Amino acid sequence: MKKLLLSFLLASPVLLFAQGSQVNTQGIKALGMAGAGSALFVDESSIFYNPGALVKMDHNAISAGASAVMYRSAFKEVNSTQQYDTKFQITPPFSVFATFGPKDTWWKAGLGVYTPFGGAVDWGQDWPGKYELNHLQMRAIYIQPTLSFKITDNFSVGGGFVYNLGFVDLSRSLPTFDANGNPGRAELSGVGTGTGYNVGVHYNLENEFAISLSYRSKVVTKLKDGDAKFTVPDALAASFPTTTFEAELPLPASFNIGVSFPISERLDIAADGTFIGYDIYKSLTFDYKDNTPTLEDTYQPKKYQKAFSGKIGLNYKASDKLALRTGAGYVASPVSAQYVYAETPDNNRVMASLGFTYMLSDKFDLTGAYTFQRILERTVTNAVTGLNGTFKTNIHAPGISLTYKW
Amino acid sequence: MKRFQKNIKLYIGLVACALATSCAPEIDNAKPNENTGSSKPDFSKYIAIGNSLTAGFADGGLYLEGQQLAFPVLIAEKMKAHGGGEFKSPFFIESQSNGSGYIRLKALVNGQPVTEPVTDKLAVRGLSPNNTPLYTKYTEEVNNLGVPGMRLDMTEIQGLGTVKGNPYFERLLTEQAAMTSYRAFATSKNHTFFSFSLGNNDALGYATNGGVQKPDGTSTLTDINTFSNNLTNFITDLTTNGRKGVIATIPDVSAVPFLTTVTRQALLQAATTASQAQGGPAVTALFIATKAGARPATDKDMFVLPFASSGLLGKPNDQKIPYGLHPNNPIESQYVLDEAEVAEVKTRIDEYNKKILEVAKSRDLAVADIHAFLNKVKNGYVYNGIVISNKYITGNVFSLDGVHLTPMGYAIMANIFIDAINAKYGTQLDKVDAMQYRGVKMP
Repeated sequence: MKKLLLSFLLASPVLLFAQGSQVNTQGIKALGMAGAGSALFVDESSIFYNPGALVKMDHNAISAGASAVMYRSAFKEVNSTQQYDTKFQITPPFSVFATFGPKDTWWKAGLGVYTPFGGAVDWGQDWPGKYELNHLQMRAIYIQPTLSFKITDNFSVGGGFVYNLGFVDLSRSLPTFDANGNPGRAELSGVGTGTGYNVGVHYNLENEFAISLSYRSKVVTKLKDGDAKFTVPDALAASFPTTTFEAELPLPASFNIGVSFPISERLDIAADGTFIGYDIYKSLTFDYKDNTPTLEDTYQPKKYQKAFSGKIGLNYKASDKLALRTGAGYVASPVSAQYVYAETPDNNRVMASLGFTYMLSDKFDLTGAYTFQRILERTVTNAVTGLNGTFKTNIHAPGISLTYKW
Repeated sequence: MKRFQKNIKLYIGLVACALATSCAPEIDNAKPNENTGSSKPDFSKYIAIGNSLTAGFADGGLYLEGQQLAFPVLIAEKMKAHGGGEFKSPFFIESQSNGSGYIRLKALVNGQPVTEPVTDKLAVRGLSPNNTPLYTKYTEEVNNLGVPGMRLDMTEIQGLGTVKGNPYFERLLTEQAAMTSYRAFATSKNHTFFSFSLGNNDALGYATNGGVQKPDGTSTLTDINTFSNNLTNFITDLTTNGRKGVIATIPDVSAVPFLTTVTRQALLQAATTASQAQGGPAVTALFIATKAGARPATDKDMFVLPFASSGLLGKPNDQKIPYGLHPNNPIESQYVLDEAEVAEVKTRIDEYNKKILEVAKSRDLAVADIHAFLNKVKNGYVYNGIVISNKYITGNVFSLDGVHLTPMGYAIMANIFIDAINAKYGTQLDKVDAMQYRGVKMP
């Protein structure tokens, strides 16, 4: 008798560094203005926001910041009243920026270590989309040495080389059932690397109007020798060997325009617009080292669109020691409705922020910020997995940084 | 400021608490359906009338796990929030939880499933005069009236509930009530709402026996007049005083793995492999017995699942003619639903469904279109990230017997009933999360 072929569709594990995971908390000052301020803030965080502005610093500084991103998603299947929430957890993006070089000259050097992409969602193993995703944790750490030069007193340029370390860890349930009726599980984890660059120009008219243009290249991160582990019934163990996998993740390029100008002696306004080239993210392929008839390489379409975000913020100098900030922004999602996955249940989002900087002394500044983002509710039917329901997400992200100046 | 410092722990605690709980997003429930014009049904006493599917039969047997996850049980659970009362099933007790016994997967040998019977913890209380098992009685009032093997052409028969009749019906009746017909039994429960899913066996029994009608009446292809009369009588009784319910259509038999798994191509390949192992030629033709005599099989003929493991194919008879490979020793009719029989069954099922829709319309009942659903399964589709199809074992919804469903399959079936009830009556019964239920268990 011919074998009855046992083929278990191993739908592609999901994995991406998407808009949904992107909460820009690299500079806590900008965070206080919902991400605006690339033209306004000329300090060590310019290494990230605009390397071109770095040389305009009149001192050197080192700052260390961290934020607590709380990404809280909820899902409800269509025609169900049962809501499933992601587990409460905190992702701690961090950033360290340091500048070097003589003061008041035509060049400055800097080094930034920061996390431009990162996030964590844990839906658990008991929700309707468990065969799509249990949990996903990921982080990209960019290490960026930077140089910045003055062309004229008002016009400066800069650039940095980006080396990326990407970490990923995800799991999903498999539709194989053991003697107790429990489903199987696939767990994948890996580390990848990639390179890119970050360049920018900054122009200011005296101390009034400033404009910032910057471009961050895409960073194609290659995961090699990631670990793939499967928990399946004994009868299927040979079909799901513990193996390794390769995958490629393109982190998108972005182009940013920022402007700022004073409204009054104490109040500045800043606005930023960012175009993000998410359309490079077309699909995701997983290449398993050991293939079996049941464990084949997987391909999953993503079909991202270009995305845009607009942010506007106010910076109020309340006293010589205290600055207060607020801001708001809007992000147009790169994810089409039929390609929304549980990993980052994305949609257009609105955000609002508050922040402050307090000068503890001549040497030390303390900066804090709080941002709230709402990914708007969206009811989708995924074209690949068929998951049909409503996603809604709130993101809370308080952040704090300490700067030492000399 | 001092006071602030004094209370700082409290503030931090409050903030942490707020972040951990209240900041989670809330998704509103869907708005109620527009008024459909029908009056709201009363779910306070729901009864389920039907056959093995209603009873929760799976893996070739009726056992406690299947009973507990039968689709009416899942529906009744969702009715509770909408005025539904207690829903009782004739559960086997824990020490007899394997009920009638069933089959489980023992191993995969070269990818080929090997099953074995489960024979412990049975609920067999003795043998009938026909030497068939009788099961431990359960004569308390129940809401799940699903009886494996129940056919629409048997609903009027008095005596079906005796030891010589259907053992699953017999176990529900007291000695005194043994002569009650199934219709009389099911319509005397003072129900307020019902689900009705009968008629599958009137065609499936015939189809799974290869189009051969056995003398015991379990594989008769019921004629449309009997079907119509019994259906109308039953539904008339169930709907007196304007009582509401939902009625299921009958799936196409060619959708079940019992008939789709063993194909002519697969058999030819197996026969060729066996032949070539002994230095013989490739096998290019199979022969089947039909009502019009023996003929070569085509890809339109369907073979029953048990034929794969029967060991018959190629076995020489007394004249040394290999079984199934020669017109003088064809594959017997009970193993094959030949093309003409497939068409015959299809046509009959279409007639049944036409009648079901007609009756449902005249009584203003909801219709759970299981026929349409099984056609969708036949083509295969992706549901919440996994494949749902009629592939044996890997299709996730059919149990090991290739006819009855897995818990996941029954959960999806419950949702079809729920959707039909909601659509008809404007109710808001919650959907069952079918992903919480298993497919086929593996060793």
